Amino acid sequence: MPQNEYIEQHIKQHGKRLDHEERQRKKQAREGHRVAKDAQNLTGWRAKQFNKKRYAEKVAMKKKIKAHQESKLNGPSTPKQDDGEALPTYLLDRQTNNTAKAISSSIKQKRLEKADKFSVPIPKVRGVSEEEMFKVIKTGKKNHKSWKRMITKHTFVGEGFTRRPVKMERIIRPAALRQKKANVTHPELGVTVFLPILGVKKNPQSPMYTQLGVLTKGTIIEVNVSELGLVTAGGKVVWGKYAQITNEPDRDGCVNAVLLV
Amino acid sequence: MQLSWKDIPSVPTSNDMLDIVLNRTQRKTPTVIRPGFKITRIRAFYMRKVRFTADGFAEKFSDVISGFPNINDCHPFHRDLMDTLYEKNHYKVSLAAVSRAKTLIEQVSRDYVRLLKFGQSLYQCKQLKRAALGRMATIVKKLKDPFVYLEQVRQHLGRMPSIDPNTRTLLICGYPNVGKSSFLKCITKADVEVQPYAFTTKSLYVGHFDYKYLRFQAIDTPGILDRPTEEMNNIEMQSIYAIAHLRSCVLYFMDLSEQCGFSIEAQVKLFHSIKPLFANKSVMVVMNKTDILRPEDLSEEKQELLKTISAVSGVEVMSASCVEEDNVMQVRNQACEKLLTARIEQKLKGTARVNNVLNKIHVAKPQSRDDVRRDAFIPDAVKNMKKYDAEDPNRRQLARDYEAENGGAGVFNINLKDKYLLEDDDWKNDVMPEVLDGKNVYDFLDEDIAAKLQALEEEEERLEKEGFYDSDDDDEDVDLDAIENGEDLEDIRDKAAWIRDKQKKMINESRYRKALKNRAVMPRDQVKKSFESMEEHMYSLGHDTSALKRNKSVSAGKELSGVDILKRNQGLASSSKTRVNKKKAPVSQTDRLNDGLNDGALRSQAERLAKIQRRERNRMARQGEGDRHSTAMLPKHLFSGKRGIGSNDRR
Repeated sequence: MPQNEYIEQHIKQHGKRLDHEERQRKKQAREGHRVAKDAQNLTGWRAKQFNKKRYAEKVAMKKKIKAHQESKLNGPSTPKQDDGEALPTYLLDRQTNNTAKAISSSIKQKRLEKADKFSVPIPKVRGVSEEEMFKVIKTGKKNHKSWKRMITKHTFVGEGFTRRPVKMERIIRPAALRQKKANVTHPELGVTVFLPILGVKKNPQSPMYTQLGVLTKGTIIEVNVSELGLVTAGGKVVWGKYAQITNEPDRDGCVNAVLLV
Repeated sequence: MQLSWKDIPSVPTSNDMLDIVLNRTQRKTPTVIRPGFKITRIRAFYMRKVRFTADGFAEKFSDVISGFPNINDCHPFHRDLMDTLYEKNHYKVSLAAVSRAKTLIEQVSRDYVRLLKFGQSLYQCKQLKRAALGRMATIVKKLKDPFVYLEQVRQHLGRMPSIDPNTRTLLICGYPNVGKSSFLKCITKADVEVQPYAFTTKSLYVGHFDYKYLRFQAIDTPGILDRPTEEMNNIEMQSIYAIAHLRSCVLYFMDLSEQCGFSIEAQVKLFHSIKPLFANKSVMVVMNKTDILRPEDLSEEKQELLKTISAVSGVEVMSASCVEEDNVMQVRNQACEKLLTARIEQKLKGTARVNNVLNKIHVAKPQSRDDVRRDAFIPDAVKNMKKYDAEDPNRRQLARDYEAENGGAGVFNINLKDKYLLEDDDWKNDVMPEVLDGKNVYDFLDEDIAAKLQALEEEEERLEKEGFYDSDDDDEDVDLDAIENGEDLEDIRDKAAWIRDKQKKMINESRYRKALKNRAVMPRDQVKKSFESMEEHMYSLGHDTSALKRNKSVSAGKELSGVDILKRNQGLASSSKTRVNKKKAPVSQTDRLNDGLNDGALRSQAERLAKIQRRERNRMARQGEGDRHSTAMLPKHLFSGKRGIGSNDRR
């Protein structure tokens, strides 16, 4: 019975077919034909897979070619030397701004800076209607009362929250849709950390949603960043920081946010 | 215990695994869903997809996990071998990663199914499904390296020879290139590579052979170099583990010609350094390549070195040449003998086995109850009999001798009936049929048969005399006589014909009656039959109808008078004895009309009062008790209002 490396041993003892290399070469050569045939004939799921793979290959190849060409174009770049020649006036004018322009641009800059204080990565959000946000729950023995509402979006519910008695509870936040943690990305460091949520600062849809802790796209939440080890200018460790939600949590089943720095 | 792992299912790469499972989900779950469907249906559709995919992954992962052997459950030899070949920790970590991925995927599926229960629209459900499958895919993609590693392990495990650690084993070890593989090739049919360079054999090889109808396995190990075990490489460690763990006869091979590249001193030194591994094993040292150099031709100091080996207790030294196949078989046989004796010794040494048998055996020693001697009874005739001696000319004549005298076996047959003990010796050779007329003779064999027969005959005679068999019915005799006379014969025939005819008619009639043929059937109690027809029928059946005729004539003679009819209508008993067919009231029922009224005067007064009572009501056209009245279907008072107690039908 064959044991251990019997395949290699057999090749060693008896060698390969005489035309092995030839066949390999031919197979290699025909590979393009096979791919072309597949591209034409495959259907359905296999075609999808095939096209995806081929697309990825093509993208990779194009990138490679582009990089190659660029390296050729630039060549061994030599820094331009200032040859001391005078520039024409129209070029000179570009370099130096006149005072009026300087003033206006500085004002603009200041305004921008002022606005920047309140700017967030996602400035606009899609409106969410009450019908979409709340689902009417029928109650009563005959199911004919409809004063109860259930929030259909993900919510943040603070620790130590207890539900009110059934008859008092007008708005239900389902336990399955409660979120405690968020995937927070630090935009400058480019890292993503799974951080606990401390609270909902502002939901742009409505102040009521802020109160209820509804998490939708664009909501500002406060997260516990003590894990990140951020330090203030004074040298204290930052504990809570704001972040903005960047996805629709009810579509993905998780909360992704970007840290506001 | 498992010795070979040739049927572990193959482990696909993580990408293939993804394709397999997702493709399966696509093929085996429904694919058509529309936003107009009920939301519960949409949710169920996507939940099914998520669950199905998770199940697919879990199934594939558990196949992988269960397919690979648990390294701790293996025999120590296999465990150590796997440890050196595959790095035990790496192996365990890889399997653990797969197992953890399984739980993670199940968790993801659980979470997303829970979220899907709150899905509000098709789009949202679809997105959630997409997220769930994406997360599963991420988990699987992280298993890329473990899968690649496990696939390699699987292939290597499958190609490993199946070594049984407990069977009879010859283990061939020694320096590289001393002729171990060629020895294995000589004694078994194993296809081992033999090359004139060191470390041709890089792993264990197994061959099988038979000796004394017993199956032996011979194991060829890679060469060992003389260095501490910590510095040994994986190839050498395989042989070390084989020597350490297998119950075997170790054949230590030496090359006296030093063609292998190692001096005799080095080879002797290696023997002494691995000697501790030979404890409890039988060891043989084989001087190989005697075709080049014989041990006798060695120089003095080298002979001395070799003696240090043979000085070790239990070590036997032999020489052989694998190239010329000289003395190879002797070496093999000697090793096998040594191994067998060692195994038997070991078996006997183990007290557990002996005790096991002893525990099952009980030797009963009966105690004498008294001092009376109870010897075996031997008849005197037997005691005095001369001991049979075939050589003695005056010996007893046996049936065999008699047979030999008369021509031997096949020619003469001895008479088995000769020794029968019967009352009369003449009966000995009588033919006694066992079966006669298909009956077993012995069943009918009775000694007193003649006496019984005589008794029966006497009884019969007596009974006959007493007139037991005489007929006691004389009338029958007369009837029989009459029939014999033949006068009434005609009459009887007529009657019989009439009876047959009648029977046929009856049958036809009843058949006609039974055949419905879409006719309306008159109920039996409505069918009217005239008196005559009844009478006729009775007569035809053979009843005496004279009484009926008498009755009829009486009733027909008396006519009903008008008074009788009136009285009958009023329900008053008529004075005359009428034969009107009237229904008799039950005894218990009272006549309420006349109850409590003594005479006609009271009766008429009561009637008058009743009439006066009715008059006003009739005048006003009021409803009386005689009027037909239908009650309400749902009486209001029973079906409405508050009910604090019980249900409607309990009130």
